[in-house]
Amino acid sequence: MTTEEIVFSKMHSAIENYDADAAVTAANEAVSAGIDPAVALEKGFADPIRKIGEAFERMDIFLPELVMAANAMKAGVEVLEGALKARGSAIAKKGVVVLGTVEGDIHDIGKTVVGAMFQANGYEVHDLGVEVPAPRFIQAAEETKADVIAMSALLSTTMLYQRDVIELLQSKGLKDKYFIIIGGAPVTQKWADEIGANGYGRDAIEAVRVLDSHAKEWAK
Amino acid sequence: MNFKEVAKRAETGPLIEANDFLMQRVAANVLALKKEYDVKWDGKSLINLDDQLADRCWQAGKELLLRSGLYSMNSRRVIQFSKEEIEDAIRLAPSQIIMGEGKEQKTAYHRGVEDPREPFVMSGPFNADTHESMFVKLNEAFAQERLIDCLFLPGYLKELDGQMIRPNSGLSSRAAVLYGEWAREAVRRAGRPGMPIIGHSVMALNEISCTNEAYGLRRTDPRAMVLLSELQVDDVTMARLGYYLAYGTPIYIAHTPLVGGYGGGPDGTAIIGVASFIASILLGAEICHVGPQHIKYKTQTNNHSLFLGSLVNQATNRNSHIITTTSHTTAGRTGSDQYAYEFSALELAVVTGGSNISGPRPAEPLGFNNVSPLMGRLFAEVGHAASKLTREAAAGIIEQLFAKYKDAMSLEVSPKGAPFEQLYDIQKLVPTAEHQACYDRVKEELTRLGVPFNN
Repeated sequence: MTTEEIVFSKMHSAIENYDADAAVTAANEAVSAGIDPAVALEKGFADPIRKIGEAFERMDIFLPELVMAANAMKAGVEVLEGALKARGSAIAKKGVVVLGTVEGDIHDIGKTVVGAMFQANGYEVHDLGVEVPAPRFIQAAEETKADVIAMSALLSTTMLYQRDVIELLQSKGLKDKYFIIIGGAPVTQKWADEIGANGYGRDAIEAVRVLDSHAKEWAK
Repeated sequence: MNFKEVAKRAETGPLIEANDFLMQRVAANVLALKKEYDVKWDGKSLINLDDQLADRCWQAGKELLLRSGLYSMNSRRVIQFSKEEIEDAIRLAPSQIIMGEGKEQKTAYHRGVEDPREPFVMSGPFNADTHESMFVKLNEAFAQERLIDCLFLPGYLKELDGQMIRPNSGLSSRAAVLYGEWAREAVRRAGRPGMPIIGHSVMALNEISCTNEAYGLRRTDPRAMVLLSELQVDDVTMARLGYYLAYGTPIYIAHTPLVGGYGGGPDGTAIIGVASFIASILLGAEICHVGPQHIKYKTQTNNHSLFLGSLVNQATNRNSHIITTTSHTTAGRTGSDQYAYEFSALELAVVTGGSNISGPRPAEPLGFNNVSPLMGRLFAEVGHAASKLTREAAAGIIEQLFAKYKDAMSLEVSPKGAPFEQLYDIQKLVPTAEHQACYDRVKEELTRLGVPFNN
């Protein structure tokens, strides 16, 4: 095996074993070996994380494994990003997503699944948590230079706040700046259309497909 | 343990981030306990037939609650319980609870595994979105079904006069008041003025505005609370509990363990289910409801959830006298044959495990009023019939029912159904001929499969 193959193999193992420390170590080895960080990301981390996402879809693995794998990848990617930054470059990401459960709603799990699946599919995710007020979504999107605002609501009554975020964006003249995707148990495509959201995901898997398939609309 | 002590621990317990609680305290412990107690699903069975597995699951669930505690989401503190407190709560849990008034006063009770006593039937709109124009009629039609012991969650008002309702707003209080008034009016019109009503009017603290001894929900009507997945409780629920416990209403606490979530498969999630039943008792519940959620199917009638419902009830009902009930949500929507086949399969799986029954409702109603009182009647009849079956006998019928709908479990392809106003003659408050035919057809088929109906 070449040095590159050995390092990539370690990166694969780190993700497959949900091991953040090993991911950091392997990423550092890649940098030390002079491997282009962008190539290391694609060949070392992207392939196993895609497989993790597919295994989750098949229910061969469950939420804890998905979250741990996404965290391991995030830790490793930070090392590669640091190396690229030192060269005055940056990793090409699919997109930056600001994600949260809307105001008045404390339901966390659905949003966490979506976040982990976005990460597993190459998106940079900024998870704002639960009960996120409308202005906070916008503030975070501006701060992180996000492409996408993703909002979850589990209650018929709290889905109102998805509309409020969009109205606030409109009032600030920022509506067209972001691709807005919504989801949650009571949320439907009809509601998404009614409030002017750009996309709707019935579940985490569909949410990823929606972002991927609309990339041309939101890619900056 | 009294509520004051639990509420105090929510302010003084160890401080921890929610993700750490879920990953380190719940997921890691479930994984370890699955191995320690050998709690494993065989990947095929739709109903548990192994008593030892049920007993190991019970032990693992008790241990999980001891190791993880209950998470107070708003204070970010863990409410921890000692082994003695957990054992005391189980020992002192009520085995029966009286609700309702007058001739309609009812008793819900603990049932054992393969208990020949009929389950307590809680049916109604089950918090499906209910339009204000149809609220009283819909609930009256449920209340006139005499086999339904208790009107279950009379509906969810998400708008009034066309205006969507924001939690904790003035409109939200108004909705809670009207919910109580209209539910009472419905049971009164049905000639059952004291019929117990399990209520959860709005998803906010002003939910308590539904309480009114003359015109709303009374002291004898149970109030429903929900623990959040997994083993989490929020301030609104704690505040409602504090009020309702002091007021003296029966307490109904639901939990919704997520298959595919932090517990993993149906086996690990059943361990969380047991821990949640016990946590509910520690919070003051008299009736404990399990409503398993599923990360992929979102229903309670898929193969994973059938097994989970069966196992968690057997584990709890073999080893305690907690009053358990199981909710029923389906992929097929009201008005379709599939809807009835799905809830029947789950009833057979859980009633034979000692559960009482709550529901049914489509997991994803399309629009308002997507429930049927006639299906509430069939739900009661199947529940009663299931109490005559052994788990072994039920297993064969469940297999055949599951085969009927397993290829249509996805909400995208499952039958779309119809709302109450299309399934009923609203003036006469009787099912349409077409809906009655659906009931007759399904009941005939269930009889052919071996469901031993009373008539």
